[in-house]
Amino acid sequence: MDSGNEDALDIIITNVVATFRTRCHLNLRLIALEGVNVIYKPEVGKVLMKLRKPKITASIWSSGKIICTGATSEDESKVGARRLARTLQKLGFRVRFSDYKVVNVLAVCSMPFSIRLIDFTKKNRPIASYEPELHPAATYRIKQIKATVQVFSTGSITVTGPNVQTVATAVEQIYPLLFECQKPLRK
Amino acid sequence: MGRSCKNCGSTSIDVDQSRGDAVCMGCGSVLEDNIIVSEVEFAERGGSAHAMGQFVAGDSGGKNPNFGDAYYTGRESRAQTLSNARNSITTLGRSLQMNQHCLDTAYNFYKMALSKRLTYGRRSAHVVAACLYLVCRTEGTPHMLLDLSDIVQVNVYILGRTFLVLARELCINAPAIDPCLYIPRFAQLLEFGEKNRDVSMTALRLLQRMKRDWMHTGRRPSGLCGAALLVAARMHDFRRTIKEIIAVVKVCEATLRKRLTEFEATPTSHLTVEEFMKVDLATECDPPSFTAGKTKNKMAELEMELEKKMVDVEGEIQSYHDEIETELESCRPKLKGVYASDSAPEVIEGEEVDEEVDEELMAVAKHFGKELTGGGRRGPSLESILGPMPTAASLGLQDSIRTAVDEEKENDAGESGELDLSGIDDGEIERYLLDDNEIKIKTAVWMAENSDYLKEQKEKEAKIALEKELGIYKEKKTRASGKKRGPIRARTADEAIEKMLERKKISSKINYDVLKDLNVRPPASPAHSATPPRSATPTRGFAGRNAVRSHAPAPLSLGTPLSSLGKSILAPMGYGREGGQYPSSLGGLGECGRGAKWVRVGGGQHPDALHLGSSPTGPG
Repeated sequence: MDSGNEDALDIIITNVVATFRTRCHLNLRLIALEGVNVIYKPEVGKVLMKLRKPKITASIWSSGKIICTGATSEDESKVGARRLARTLQKLGFRVRFSDYKVVNVLAVCSMPFSIRLIDFTKKNRPIASYEPELHPAATYRIKQIKATVQVFSTGSITVTGPNVQTVATAVEQIYPLLFECQKPLRK
Repeated sequence: MGRSCKNCGSTSIDVDQSRGDAVCMGCGSVLEDNIIVSEVEFAERGGSAHAMGQFVAGDSGGKNPNFGDAYYTGRESRAQTLSNARNSITTLGRSLQMNQHCLDTAYNFYKMALSKRLTYGRRSAHVVAACLYLVCRTEGTPHMLLDLSDIVQVNVYILGRTFLVLARELCINAPAIDPCLYIPRFAQLLEFGEKNRDVSMTALRLLQRMKRDWMHTGRRPSGLCGAALLVAARMHDFRRTIKEIIAVVKVCEATLRKRLTEFEATPTSHLTVEEFMKVDLATECDPPSFTAGKTKNKMAELEMELEKKMVDVEGEIQSYHDEIETELESCRPKLKGVYASDSAPEVIEGEEVDEEVDEELMAVAKHFGKELTGGGRRGPSLESILGPMPTAASLGLQDSIRTAVDEEKENDAGESGELDLSGIDDGEIERYLLDDNEIKIKTAVWMAENSDYLKEQKEKEAKIALEKELGIYKEKKTRASGKKRGPIRARTADEAIEKMLERKKISSKINYDVLKDLNVRPPASPAHSATPPRSATPTRGFAGRNAVRSHAPAPLSLGTPLSSLGKSILAPMGYGREGGQYPSSLGGLGECGRGAKWVRVGGGQHPDALHLGSSPTGPG
């Protein structure tokens, strides 16, 4: 996905979080005892099941709500979620795959220039905030599309948003702002 | 007042305040008698005249005037909240030595926050601390969030979150922290004597230099200050160790060292002292994380090239291997792949290469996945190699072959909730489930591991059943209550320390044996001892960063007054909270009951130094 400039910026999606429901009550102990890659956390009340392909970790609650994390694309996430549901079906639960929704997408992108964070924050108050005591990056929250961009001084940024399209839009929106506050490199 | 007379309609009315009359000028009729006037009256008290009446502030409800009944219905809640906040702000501010103007501004911020309903759902201590920090930032006082969190005993990041929310909602643009602000404060704590000015100026210049060299973005300002002060001190012949600096600046040793190495990498570090004073280099550097990233990229590229080369070489070797295989299969009984080359005399050298190649092939195959589709010949030898490996490995490979062959069709799962099974391989999923034998084993193991938990659950159920029978059972929401420990009763400080050590789980970084060996004698005024006080006691836990404090113990040097060491290590553990007995000759080290400990380097008396954390009471 381009940012509209000559050199294409690579937006790499590193994590996709999705939830779905199985519409039936799940017995966590059974899953814990019969599943291969499971971790049971009785204090919290959930089971973590890790799939190898696609590489996904799922938190399973007894109410039937499942959160699926670790996928690197939306499609992969869906496949993983369905695979998971199939596994649960084989264990004997009457699983129905419903309400599948991608909740969060995390992507990283690297700008070819460094960024002056203090300038950037000054120009974009109050949308941007920078607290070096707390976190080395400046946080820029775009309210309209509900995305958050964390800008580091090296030029790499991480974008989180509700879907991949939002992430792309966010990068496109923020690129000109970053371009203004860039620091030209020596080498 | 546009009044008109009732009788004649004239608008000219004479109001006489002194007599309290309103008379129409036209017809002379008296319109009002005994007018209630609102004038300030003065009464004489003790020779001077005072205005009469009570002062009621516009914002607060103030005291409700009781008309005759002396019973107060209690002040309204808002007034109470505000007065509580006022007290908290004052207490906190006093311990930070903020002036009255700052405290008033903080109070105003709190009122604004209250009116915008930002205090709901947040601890008042957090909001108060955040207001104070907001004032610090807008005024530019050298107070760090870390100081505040030390006093309030709250995690820095939690306070930071509250502060950010407050700043955003109140639309207050707090200017970015400049590390230069902290220099005078830290310099004073490090006690440079008369050369304080010089060292500060040098440190300031160093900081400017660091800014230009891009070391300061994204870094904690206190870390940079520490590094600058260290170098400045050394430049002026003060031997300040890293430990002393970190005690004052509140960063960890690793951070300080890192900053120093980064500074070393800049060209400025190569100048001598005099040169630095005169010249300011024009060139600027890239930020250090950027250069680190670049080297990483280079390494990655090198690795890629190496791998490519490896693959080429493997291709050649593989062709040799294939030839050998064909020969052997044709003329000999079939041996396993690895041993096939054993009997062939010509390729003894190739043997070791083969083994390596096979392992590498495995690795490469896993990586690329699809190279294995060629030939069943490779199949058996692979199996033999992979035989001893866990089945998961072969699983991974076979799967990758299968997916390379299969195509995944993307269908919607359908709104009805039916599970779309296309593309999902049942066989593979079967492997995700254990078979009966394995289930039994796992059940046994799991039960064994979690026996405690299971017992607890059974007891709980039994209790609930009992209570239900007795009809007492209530739906209780279990709230996570903190660990409540009773007070330690001990006669001497030693006993108290021992008992506390037994009870509390303290960090693994402390060498308890050494601690126990320390014969804690009543201290012989460690604060004023002639031994080099610098080496003594700069141990400071990072109370601000985490709720649990853990830190490295100070090394035992010969000059260390042992008792002070023992106490200063244990003190941050909250020992003071339990009201333990301290010999008061540790007075140079400002302990306080609340647990925020300050160990002063040098232990001298500095009344004008920024003396944090010595308030006996925390925020209300």
